[in-house]
Amino acid sequence: MAPVVGAVELKKTYMLGKIPVQALRGVNLKVESGDFLAVLGPSGSGKSTLLNLIGALDKPTAGKLSIDGIDVSTLNDNQLADLRLRIGFVFQFFNLIPRFTAKYNVELSMSILGRNRTEREKRAEELLETVGLKDRINHKPAELSGGQQQRVAIARALANEPRFLLMDEPTGNIDSKTAEEIMNLVKKINEKGVTIIMVTHDQRLASEAKRTVQIIDGVITSDLVN
Amino acid sequence: MKVPDVFSYSFSAIKLRKLRAALTTLGVVIGIAAIVALLSITQGLQTTITDQLERGLAADTLIVVPGSNALGGGAGDGGGFGGGIGGGSTSAPLYINYTDEIDALSPDIVTSLAVIQKFGYLQNASNATRQVNSIVGVNFSQYASTYSTTFVAASGSVPLDPSDKDIVVGARVSDPRLNGTLFVQANDDVSLIWTNNTIIPFANETYTAHVSAVLDRIGGFGLAGPSDTGVYVPLSQAERFFGTDEADMIIVKLKSSDATVVNSTSKGITNYFGNEVSVISATAVQSLLTTIFSTISLFLGGIAAISLLVAGIGIMNIMIVSLIERTREIGILKALGMKSRTVLYIFLTESIIIGLIGAVIGVISGWVLANVISLFLGRGGIIGSALTITPILTPEVMLGALGFGVGISVIFALYPAWRASKLKPVEALRYE
Repeated sequence: MAPVVGAVELKKTYMLGKIPVQALRGVNLKVESGDFLAVLGPSGSGKSTLLNLIGALDKPTAGKLSIDGIDVSTLNDNQLADLRLRIGFVFQFFNLIPRFTAKYNVELSMSILGRNRTEREKRAEELLETVGLKDRINHKPAELSGGQQQRVAIARALANEPRFLLMDEPTGNIDSKTAEEIMNLVKKINEKGVTIIMVTHDQRLASEAKRTVQIIDGVITSDLVN
Repeated sequence: MKVPDVFSYSFSAIKLRKLRAALTTLGVVIGIAAIVALLSITQGLQTTITDQLERGLAADTLIVVPGSNALGGGAGDGGGFGGGIGGGSTSAPLYINYTDEIDALSPDIVTSLAVIQKFGYLQNASNATRQVNSIVGVNFSQYASTYSTTFVAASGSVPLDPSDKDIVVGARVSDPRLNGTLFVQANDDVSLIWTNNTIIPFANETYTAHVSAVLDRIGGFGLAGPSDTGVYVPLSQAERFFGTDEADMIIVKLKSSDATVVNSTSKGITNYFGNEVSVISATAVQSLLTTIFSTISLFLGGIAAISLLVAGIGIMNIMIVSLIERTREIGILKALGMKSRTVLYIFLTESIIIGLIGAVIGVISGWVLANVISLFLGRGGIIGSALTITPILTPEVMLGALGFGVGISVIFALYPAWRASKLKPVEALRYE
């Protein structure tokens, strides 16, 4: 079985005004199914760029990147969008859509996939129950705490049975006690067999993962199993 | 994403900014309402005029007037429709005795009658004077048989073998304001006055006439047939009074109103007189009217369309604002796997919803507006009580307005929607 994510000599250069910035200078990484990987790096290390590439939001400048066995560099915008349907994003700022209830926010990713309404509603309710928000189903994001919003985001990310969850500083905007609860939830999800890739600058958070790679100045400097 | 889901997503975005959406929709409403109101009033006016014309110009009659292009050049300058269609370009006179020649032209012709028509005045028994648009000299018995439904007396009786002094007057000559205050009535003696402008200095000719009948109310106006404002004088008396043997028109009654008969007889008469006369038929007048009214419709519709164009710009403006406000949302949707195409559809659907709601409300309020306006016009306002307009909303106009409203909305939303669809997910997500 192909690895969930496979990167070989991955490079990304973008232009900051007229100055080319080499964000990634040759990253080699392999993530197997069932893994819980933390990508640890200070700001400016290139970890967000790596996240965008693994999330199929952007295409690499050079090198090879395969996601779920598919070579990203050959894909057009539509195919990239289809690939993103197989990835569960969880953002630092939750990125829920404010006008929708928790339930519809979870439904949204399934609606984009084209699943029908009854199936969607049933699964959204189940997922919200799984993340512990059974009694908050019809609340809008503004009526939920940060931790609750992030749970909704996790439920949304899981909705389409993704190949992996891609988390960007998932507890960066949450108080430490709630953060701990979220991490417990994430670990539980991983135990059920969902692959997780989490990007963070927080050493302590990274230590919760099964494996930590450190990225500095666009290259991976260490790859340790915790 | 399924179509109903796209719809409900777009609708949720509209609902979020209710006032803004309502104002944008109002722009469409005003544009569509203006178009619908103007077109349905024009349409109603056209139908009214055509109806009235059909009463005055039966399909089985032709009108021969001097001049070679009466319809093209002179439709307006004979004193309006009521005064007949006079004044061609250059004209050889049309003599009264030509009727004999016309009668002999074709077996399709039943009869023909000459009409002399002048502008003049009527003075009643108490010496009050009123202007009369048309003093018409006709052969009473022929006229009565040709226009058997309209040349009918309401009081007195139409003399079929009149003496020189007998005249017949239209309903509004007797009762000008149609309120019961009579200016003349049957059996009155009146003076007919005509300003002779063929001599210098001009002189007023006058004679005392006897009103033997007042006609039933006809309504509207006719081209050649009896009218509510006409004063009818025996032809021989008119010849003497006006000092002429020239007819202003000759009315030709045909055996049938069949188009081929109408056309071939028209051609036959025109050819016989070496193209020095014009032959007007109901069909020709109607096609002319249709041309005139389609030009008017196009012109008015065009003006109204400008307001819709402004509404379109409003939509574009609001969509661009919305696109900027929702940049991050678009980033989220794309990160969740939404295709650019679907983002485009969502934005276009928003404008379709606004356009459709605006167009539907616009058609309804345009229709209401048209009825209100025609109510005011009909109530003796601008047009007077002789003519009432019933606005007509044809399915073509209705569907056209709906389509136009939605079309404009979509066209002006294309650019913002395209820009939204082209947003790069990475940049859109970073947008604050």
